[in-house]
Amino acid sequence: MNSITPQYEDYADALEMIDDEDMRFEYIIDVGKKVKDEDFPEALRIDPNLMHGCMSRVWLCDEVRDGKHYFSGFSDAIIVKGLVAMMAGSFSGLTTDQLQELTTGHVRRLNLGALTTQRQVGMMAMLETFKKFGLAGGGTIAQLRSDSV
Amino acid sequence: MNKIVPIDIQSGSNSMDAYDIERVREDFPILKQQIYGKSLVFLDSGASAQKPQVVIDAVHECYETYYSNVHRGAHFLSQKCTDVYEQVRGQIATFMNAQSENNVIFTSSVTESINLVAQTWGRKFLKKGDQIIVSEVEHHANIVPWQLLQDQIGFDIKVAKIDDQGEFLLDTFKALLSPKTKLVAITDCSNVLGTMLPVKEITRLAHEVGAKVLVDGTQGIVHNGVDVQDLDCDFYGFTGHKIYGPTGIGILYGKMDVLKSMPPYQGGGDMIDKVSFSGTTFQEPPYRFEAGTPPIAQVIGLGAAIKYVSDLGMENISAHEQGLLAYANELLSAIEGVQIIGQAKDKAAIISFLIEGTHPFDVAAVLDRQGVATRVGHHCAEPLMDRLGIVGTVRASFGLYNNKDDVDRLVAAIGRAKELLI
Repeated sequence: MNSITPQYEDYADALEMIDDEDMRFEYIIDVGKKVKDEDFPEALRIDPNLMHGCMSRVWLCDEVRDGKHYFSGFSDAIIVKGLVAMMAGSFSGLTTDQLQELTTGHVRRLNLGALTTQRQVGMMAMLETFKKFGLAGGGTIAQLRSDSV
Repeated sequence: MNKIVPIDIQSGSNSMDAYDIERVREDFPILKQQIYGKSLVFLDSGASAQKPQVVIDAVHECYETYYSNVHRGAHFLSQKCTDVYEQVRGQIATFMNAQSENNVIFTSSVTESINLVAQTWGRKFLKKGDQIIVSEVEHHANIVPWQLLQDQIGFDIKVAKIDDQGEFLLDTFKALLSPKTKLVAITDCSNVLGTMLPVKEITRLAHEVGAKVLVDGTQGIVHNGVDVQDLDCDFYGFTGHKIYGPTGIGILYGKMDVLKSMPPYQGGGDMIDKVSFSGTTFQEPPYRFEAGTPPIAQVIGLGAAIKYVSDLGMENISAHEQGLLAYANELLSAIEGVQIIGQAKDKAAIISFLIEGTHPFDVAAVLDRQGVATRVGHHCAEPLMDRLGIVGTVRASFGLYNNKDDVDRLVAAIGRAKELLI
């Protein structure tokens, strides 16, 4: 698997070193707890940024700078907040073309076996959203939704 | 229904011997396994209950030794399978105290039972300007079928209220009743709060204005049984998989005069009297409402489940569960930051709760990692969540196989959730 971003490698290495599923689970919680409210201000927690179909509320934003996509996100649940932080951090700084090359294998390498199937499906949905952001050249979740209708 | 006296779980007094929980647990092979290296604590029976060995065996035996399509088969296996299948109808009639087995219709689920009433009785008898009443605690399965029909017919749906404790407000319900009320469709037990609704009194009041009553007994019958003649409801529905039977089988009870007044639900084999291109006539109830090959093995499995709970005794099951509920209520109430959602006086063994400063999905995930299976979310009761001003709850729903250790494990897991999440 090719290297994606330094942050992705950090997460993948950290989770690989933890050989206990409960510890991996707690690692995700710790990542979630480290995300502060000010990291994703209230002003961004609005419907246009809200992902549909999630059990907890998830907001995602894409900022495009110099042709690269920088993702940020937030959730009202800590575990999902941790997952969003890991996903956004891992796949930020990539170009549209690089985003399209991402596969489910990249997510699986994060070794998040401690998650329920439903959450793993959510991670894959997030990956697809990142790729759609890439194709759309940015925008909001709401715009992606209206484009796909 | 006699008043249930809870078993004192802590002291072990009051006939713990009569209900040998450890022996009961032996009947459920799934409970013997470990989840994430911890012994399973299954507190999600409100969503779907586990199956005793006798149910698994009954389904297995049916397929292995006498399975065949039922009704009109001209061979030995079909006759035998039909006999066993139809015996279950009588068994369920006895369990519910229905007037006869002909009042018992096999459906695929309680959802189908309610849709059947909506699309047959409702389509025939409801008209624009009529009113039906549901309650704030209803499962979506007892809301959406009526909304679909409302779109087609144009009647009004009124909503009976609860108070902040989850107690049903009988006076406000009375105020909703009028000669326009044609149907009250209401649960006997909230799947979220555990509140037992006074459905006998609701039925009496509804009948005074000439309305029919459909009771969604999905949760209620599992915890307390039912006597449909005493209740005097016109329809009563429940589902097999929550009462320790297979999935894919539900029951609709109906009073015979009401059932006879209803047109068929679905067309197909088995439900007809005679078919010709000049016109088709239909069977009498219950067969009029059972088109096509029915869920044969599921019916037979449900029969085994009904026999199982009957042998244990619904009063014993209720007393055991009430003891667990009291014990769990006492322990959870003492945990700082735990808020129990739903504090009605008369509750089934269901506890919804939140932990201050946490999201219910996080709590349920941590409980899961401790081997404690609960349910989280809106529990298919979004209007109730809106009423309570919450996004969801963690729900621990107890079954006849849960014990004091399960409650202790839940309490310990909540402690772990607080450690990790706060």
